[in-house]
Amino acid sequence: MRLKLRIWRQAGPTAPGRLEDYAADDISPDMSFLEMLDVVNEGLVRQGKDAIAFDSDCREGICGMCSLVVNGVPHGPDRGTTVCQLHMRRYKDGDTITIEPWRARAFPVVKDLIVDRSAFDRIIAAGGYVSVNAGGAPDGNAIPISKAIYEQAMDSAACIGCGACVAACKNASAHLFMGAKISQLARLPQGQVERASRVAAMVHQADAEGFGSCSNEGECEAVCPKEIPISNIARITRELVKAVWRGGE
Amino acid sequence: MLTCAFERRNSKLRGTVSSPRLRLLGSSVATKLLIGITGLALVLYLIVHVVGNLLIFLGPDFFNRYAYTLEGNPLLPIVEIGLLLVFLIHILRTIRNFVLNQRARPVRYVEKRRAGWPSRKSFPSSTMIVSGLWLVAFLLVHVKAFRYGAEYPWPAGGRDLYRLELETFRSPLVVAFYAISMVVIGAHLWHGIASGFQSLGADTPAWRRFILPAGKIVAVAIAGAFIVIAIWAHLQGAA
Repeated sequence: MRLKLRIWRQAGPTAPGRLEDYAADDISPDMSFLEMLDVVNEGLVRQGKDAIAFDSDCREGICGMCSLVVNGVPHGPDRGTTVCQLHMRRYKDGDTITIEPWRARAFPVVKDLIVDRSAFDRIIAAGGYVSVNAGGAPDGNAIPISKAIYEQAMDSAACIGCGACVAACKNASAHLFMGAKISQLARLPQGQVERASRVAAMVHQADAEGFGSCSNEGECEAVCPKEIPISNIARITRELVKAVWRGGE
Repeated sequence: MLTCAFERRNSKLRGTVSSPRLRLLGSSVATKLLIGITGLALVLYLIVHVVGNLLIFLGPDFFNRYAYTLEGNPLLPIVEIGLLLVFLIHILRTIRNFVLNQRARPVRYVEKRRAGWPSRKSFPSSTMIVSGLWLVAFLLVHVKAFRYGAEYPWPAGGRDLYRLELETFRSPLVVAFYAISMVVIGAHLWHGIASGFQSLGADTPAWRRFILPAGKIVAVAIAGAFIVIAIWAHLQGAA
């Protein structure tokens, strides 16, 4: 396959960026999207040029490192997958593909297609964990949790923190990411003690990082590689109302 | 105690000491909730408004008596002030939210496409701020034309609003302006009704199956009924 690529190149966080054209020749339809970029980069390195910087790690769709907006859609055209699981057979010979980084004030570009997603880490550090001392590990069956509840908690826990929700949202909102963690912990007994302070701290942190608000369009759900539904966002509101209603210390 | 330590650490991080839970009322989530509540209150008002206006089909006697009953109610000024407040909260909080949301993405995508199902993104949902601002302009014209319009006395008491309505809609330009504005309000509600409930935190699979189509049906019904009234009034006035 021969493809025409338009790729965002940006030397550093403050440098101006622009789309540059590249030709990708000798591409096998069996290659993954990232392998295709590897081939392009090998060509650039052979010519003594600067390779295109992009994030990747596991390349099997579970780590959440890869983060490309392909033809205007985060993670590309396939639903429920990360871009590393997108394969070149999805394209036709001669296609033009535009590749951009996640774009959000809270995700500044580090270089080319790599963005700094540590804002997500700070949201989790603000309250997305359980820190109560619950003693030793309880017996496996001592705290019964119904199947319906743990399935819901696990569906929310499926978030890999890739940031596609922010990238797809017209407001660059982190509400789906935040809602997934809040929902997961609110469903489980371990999460109850810090339930109110968690939602307060995480919402404040997300706002302070410069993420936007939510317009209920659901673009985030459509691009989420783990297909986490926006009912997780609705839960933030319910948790917030409960937290304010019950008041604090 | 651990929670206390946890909150102290967080307030130190942000350099503030006020209660984080009370400050939640200024957060992005609370803004969404407030816009949703006020929006749904306005939808409720619109439903009452359109049902009242449909009484015009029952003739001038019935319509003017209905209007007189409303105007004679001593609670009317309180309701009007309440309505104005709801409008102001909805408009001002939305504009502030829009500005903050724009700031959240300073560098825009060169190419951006819709992600497709299950996203609800539509032309109406992506132009809420435009339809909303149009409606603000429409409201000013509308309130001036009717609330502060010509005071034709009606023999049985109150104003002859039936006559005022027929005279207002005699101009095809006015009918066109109203019809376009009602399409705009339909578009605003097309996304707004379901979105308002979502902002309130209501979202289960069964509710979602109900509210998404129901919101759109109510949006079309409200807009359609107002357009029919305007065209009917035009035809009556011209006859």
